[in-house]
Amino acid sequence: MSDAAITVHNLYRFFGPLQAVNGVSFEIPHGSVCGFVGANGAGKTTTMRILASLDYPTMGHAEICGINVIHHPAEVRKLIGWMPDHFGNYDNMTVLEYLDFYARALGYKGAERRERIDEVMDFTDLVPLADRFSNKLSKGMTQRLCLGRSLLHDPQVLIMDEPAAGLDPKARVELKHLIRVLAKEGKTIFISSHILSELGEMCDSLLFINDGRIVHHGDSESLKKSTDTLGGVLYDVQLDGDPQALSDWAVLQPNIEFLESRKNGGRIRIDTEDPNKAADVLSRMVRENLRVIDFHREQRNLEDAFIDLLANLEKDKQTVPSPPPLPQANPPSAPPEPPLP
Amino acid sequence: MHLSDFPDRLSPMLVKELRQGLRTRSFIAVFLALQAILAVILLAAGAGATSDNAGDTISNIIFVFFSIAVIIIQPMRGIAALSSEVKGNTIDMMVLTRLSAWRIVAGKWSAIVSQSALILVTIVPYLILRYFFGGMNLFGEIMFLALIFLSSATLTAVTVGLSASSSVILRSVLPMIALPFGAYSMLMMFMFSGMRGGGGGIAEIVSLSTTESQIGVSLYIATCAYAGFFFLSIGTSLIAPYAENHSTLRRLISFVVTCIAAMIGSTDLVTDADVLPLLFTMILAPVFAISLTEFAPLVSPTYSRFTKFGLPGKLAGFFLFPGWPSGVFFCALLSLISAIPFVLNDHSYGDDHYMYGLICLASLLFPAVVVNLLRTQGAQRVSNYVLFLIASGVITAVLAGIAESMSSKGFLWLFLWIPPVLFALEEMSRSGDAVLIASVAITLILFGILIVMALAAYRKSLVEIEKSINPQ
Repeated sequence: MSDAAITVHNLYRFFGPLQAVNGVSFEIPHGSVCGFVGANGAGKTTTMRILASLDYPTMGHAEICGINVIHHPAEVRKLIGWMPDHFGNYDNMTVLEYLDFYARALGYKGAERRERIDEVMDFTDLVPLADRFSNKLSKGMTQRLCLGRSLLHDPQVLIMDEPAAGLDPKARVELKHLIRVLAKEGKTIFISSHILSELGEMCDSLLFINDGRIVHHGDSESLKKSTDTLGGVLYDVQLDGDPQALSDWAVLQPNIEFLESRKNGGRIRIDTEDPNKAADVLSRMVRENLRVIDFHREQRNLEDAFIDLLANLEKDKQTVPSPPPLPQANPPSAPPEPPLP
Repeated sequence: MHLSDFPDRLSPMLVKELRQGLRTRSFIAVFLALQAILAVILLAAGAGATSDNAGDTISNIIFVFFSIAVIIIQPMRGIAALSSEVKGNTIDMMVLTRLSAWRIVAGKWSAIVSQSALILVTIVPYLILRYFFGGMNLFGEIMFLALIFLSSATLTAVTVGLSASSSVILRSVLPMIALPFGAYSMLMMFMFSGMRGGGGGIAEIVSLSTTESQIGVSLYIATCAYAGFFFLSIGTSLIAPYAENHSTLRRLISFVVTCIAAMIGSTDLVTDADVLPLLFTMILAPVFAISLTEFAPLVSPTYSRFTKFGLPGKLAGFFLFPGWPSGVFFCALLSLISAIPFVLNDHSYGDDHYMYGLICLASLLFPAVVVNLLRTQGAQRVSNYVLFLIASGVITAVLAGIAESMSSKGFLWLFLWIPPVLFALEEMSRSGDAVLIASVAITLILFGILIVMALAAYRKSLVEIEKSINPQ
């Protein structure tokens, strides 16, 4: 038994030869918001599905609030709210009927059911949409409906797989706000997303997964620091004129690395933190006829950290001749497929 | 802003499906069209009712249109029942509630059947009007109507159960072909009964006035209940999460049904020697289809429920654990039980019956061997089994046709490995001995292959489950 809200230990999930989850271990404390980050196919959804008791691991174990997901799925389901990455809505069913169906399915009866539906509709601002058909909602409204559904039984742990995917900025802000409120209420939230900046703002900690393995677990600051192996300072440079001139110029400069093109210029890394050197670089640019209209220092963001992290891993892979052995000597050679299509 | 259209005691699935279903265009169209057609026909018949057979004709018309509505259109609405939930990823959200996979499937089925019941209720006023035309076998016609409704419920169970399949052929194409074909057969039956003894012909047969009628109707009801349960059960297995064990109950039910059939078969109650092989085929076919292909990993909660009873529990698990390896042993057990009445009443059965039984058994085993040799995974296993079973029947029909046209059956021996071909060989052969020996050999070979594969898979699953329970 663990005190953590979510405990995953040595979790493996194989689909035939594919090792979707490869020895994942982590703990998420009660009441915290944890972001789950990784490229497509890194193993995020599989891990989350196992935690939601919708899939089973080939090996290892997972617990929600100390209850084993594999041995006691029914108990675990009472504790979790699940938002899948994609889902369909029902034809010929209004928003109110949709929530009423799930409330009935969760065992709520009579006045208690009505009360729960009202609370959830208020919280997710679905009251004005009550009589709208659920399959005619916008993506943002649909996500709110799905969040409402997952909150009907007031779960302690929310598992959200890419909830912000496909949302417009307004809907994203609304969703972020709802997640913040839920976090304040003390719910443990395990959320995956591709939008790292948003996760950085919302989450107490971040879990990075790559090729089925956890490659980082910590807060966003520790990630930024730990992955910054190159040092130096980043600068955003904007030009009046051809932005290509900046990259052409930077290639010829020692101690300057051109990182990425932007609309009117680009992003460079100067390999020292000395501000005098930055001033030198700027004056050199001007001397060499680059019409600089903006030159400012930038913080490393999570995207940089993530890309550096992946690059470091790739480098490590190339230097290490063979992959590390599995912790258990004989994992099943032909693991079965999941029961759901 | 509260909903009070359905009471709390109704199943949530039924409420959801009724809310959606009653709004669908297909239901509204069928409902209104049936009313309009029957009203017009009844008015027309009433205006020109001069013939003595007017009442029977009206009955036949009512039954034909009612049958089209509830035997073709209503079951077809089940074609997408579960596949739409699977595709929409809403099954996951449902299984995380208190709804079990069985309740989801049963709710889908009961909603369509409730709508068919609504159509049935609206037929009653027309039957009352028809009464005034005279010559009505009231009880027989009510029974007939009830049996059509029962057939509709069974066919709906078939389409709903198969709708969870990943195979479009099995899920949609087959029902779309089979349902109109079935309805056409029924139409022919109406016409035939009309020629034989007036429109009340079938009503007479199902009126329970004779012992044959009582046995026939009882058997039909039992068959519909069993087939309906099994197809819904197949759908349940296809959508159920790993932790839900539906296999054990299903196998226990089929075990009890097989034992009852074996007991009845061992007495003198069954006088017709052809009945018993047919009965066992009907009982065993669905059990074999699902047990030999079932993909259900053995998980610790299920395993513990058996092992807490010690050795008897483990022994029971050998036959009743979820998954195809124990399914093979279970099917072998059922085959042995089915053989008992034939052994006890040896004098009543000839080589033809043994041959028929063995070929049927081999035909049911063959697709399972193919599915396991191809290492088909997941929910596709049962779909592929049914497809291979149908394909082997179709191939046999084609080969038999070729043999017939060539007036030579010799080449059929090359296709001996497709068990239904033995039927064609037996049909064309003068001496059945060679075919009987071949059927024994093929059945033993197929069972042998399956048992060897099952033993290996069973052992492996036990090792894995022990490892997961005791990692050290």
